[in-house]
Amino acid sequence: MVSIGVDMGAKNVKVVVLRENEVIGKALVTAGLDTEGALKEALQSASREAGIDYDEVGNITATGAGRKDVPMARDELTEVGAAARGALFHFSDARTVIDVGAEEGRGVRFNAEGRVIDFVINEKCAAGAGAFTEAMARALEVPLEEFGPLSLKSDREIPMNAQCAVFAESEVVSLVHAKTPKKDIARAVHDAIASRITSMVRRVGVEERVALVGGLAYNVGFIDSLNRDLETEVLIPPDPEYTAAIGAAVVAAERGAKASEGGENS
Amino acid sequence: MMEQFQEWAQERHSYAQEWKKQTGGKVVGYFCTYVPEEILYAADILPVRILGSHEPQDVTEPHIFGMFCPFCRDCLAQGLKGRFDYLDGIMIAQSCIHIRQAFTSWEMHLPTDFSYYLPMPNHVQSKRATPFLRGELEKFKGAVEEWTGTTITDEKLNTGIDLMNTNRRLQKQIYELRQGGNPPITGLEAMYLTISSQTTSKEDHNREMERVVSELSDRSTGRSIGTRLMLVGSENDDTEFVNMVESVGATVVIDDHCTGTRYFWNESEPNGGDPLEEIARRYVDRPACPTKDWPDRTRIPHVLKMAKEWDVAGAILIQQKFCDPHELDIPALTKAFHEAGIKTLFLEFDVTVPLGPFRVRVEAFLEMLSDEDLF
Ligand code: SF4
Repeated sequence: MVSIGVDMGAKNVKVVVLRENEVIGKALVTAGLDTEGALKEALQSASREAGIDYDEVGNITATGAGRKDVPMARDELTEVGAAARGALFHFSDARTVIDVGAEEGRGVRFNAEGRVIDFVINEKCAAGAGAFTEAMARALEVPLEEFGPLSLKSDREIPMNAQCAVFAESEVVSLVHAKTPKKDIARAVHDAIASRITSMVRRVGVEERVALVGGLAYNVGFIDSLNRDLETEVLIPPDPEYTAAIGAAVVAAERGAKASEGGENS
Repeated sequence: MMEQFQEWAQERHSYAQEWKKQTGGKVVGYFCTYVPEEILYAADILPVRILGSHEPQDVTEPHIFGMFCPFCRDCLAQGLKGRFDYLDGIMIAQSCIHIRQAFTSWEMHLPTDFSYYLPMPNHVQSKRATPFLRGELEKFKGAVEEWTGTTITDEKLNTGIDLMNTNRRLQKQIYELRQGGNPPITGLEAMYLTISSQTTSKEDHNREMERVVSELSDRSTGRSIGTRLMLVGSENDDTEFVNMVESVGATVVIDDHCTGTRYFWNESEPNGGDPLEEIARRYVDRPACPTKDWPDRTRIPHVLKMAKEWDVAGAILIQQKFCDPHELDIPALTKAFHEAGIKTLFLEFDVTVPLGPFRVRVEAFLEMLSDEDLF
């Protein structure tokens, strides 16, 4: 049976097509203001890649902040549940998933079946999230994709005190004025986010192994800092930004199977 | 059926002003539910609780440090903005230092005819707490008599006790109706019920409760109950929050708040002739606020018992930011709930709460609670 997971995020729509526990199609479309159009486009291109007919689709589950705006979805799943199921899809030994996107950071602990045991989501401040790295890279005038690799070159620890993105930026500026090498500042920034994320996730208890998903899972500087902080080696799935959509597709398949077991219409 | 309570809670200022006009009586604003309202009622004074308004404000900064709890700042802001100008007096009973700061600031900047600090003992578990409080109540009664120029007889005190006890009994009766599978009132309605009991004359409030209580047992809210939840925390009159929680597949069936059950859970017991002692004992014995729950932790078994009797699947632990007394209880409560198989969600409240991000958490929490059915 074919199932589809839709992750209707604040910025992007992600769609994953699953058949017998295998991803056979996926698509990511930046939503902008026309979320409806983006959703359609993502669904079409993922189905095209999967080479499926719409009739074959057993079930569609939506997740993400905009999950209520996916009319073709038959049910829904929160971002927290989707992160857990998605992480478990890739790594059967994962029990904690850290999901850091542009504006939100999350930690979810779950059991072997993917049932959420506890979760935590960052508070209002931006300093724990991906938007913070972007702002800091900008302040340092380093292209975002070089920001992570740059920080790997550093072997110095510079503690940053600021808890908020705006103050942190002025701290970065003072470091620049003090002629601190950019690589060390880059590391200081990644250490600071990793430390905030780690202390947040410790509230739910970090159970091995730990998977990292979301946009920041592409940033090698952050991964390095996080590994050091958690004293572990985090697991990074392929295409980390699709994890929630995969989680939704997995649940879509399970719920679809359950429904057909119980007979039609149940 | 419950609309009157909501209206009273929302229109509390015009209610109190109208009451004053009609009766010519005095209104006293109080800051903490350890204030013995019996004595005020005995003097024909209307006690109203000072609560915040959940609007952002910028007037308390010169008076209260930012690291005091948002509730006490919100309360003071109401005074500084002139919303309680009709008060003839204010008072507090000792509980926590944050709200006392609001009281002291109010006293300094918004002078009223009457202002009273009642040293309610913190060590309520001591044998000496009741006699001590009885003595303090005697002094307080004297101060009220002097202010109003009337004598508060035992008979008047007994009337005050009756009024308060009736109010407590009826509220508890209504809350008990929420134990069953189909609670006749929502958590939001319960919240309005109790808030209004703190801002309305108990005579009016009792009359309205008597009117609805018999009809309530047959009432259906016509909505699906969803997950049964408990709210636990200090003060919480954030109706928007409860409304949000109840709009995403849950019903709040019970709470431990001082704007909820802690306010009315126990009545005073007749003791054969000393009303002040009766009142003192009632406040010493009431479900404890964490400021007074030492050395034994009586609050935790009390909360757990309610959670079981009201059959909740999860509890939302609400923490007013920087509220030390309650913060101290959170780890122990969390542990106790988890050991009892009840999951918890911790949320930190400010004057205004971010409803969007809180909805994300509440929905994830409810999904976690219902996981068993899904997989
Ligand atoms: S008990 Fe907590 S919420 Fe209540 S006044 Fe004190 S600090 Fe504020």
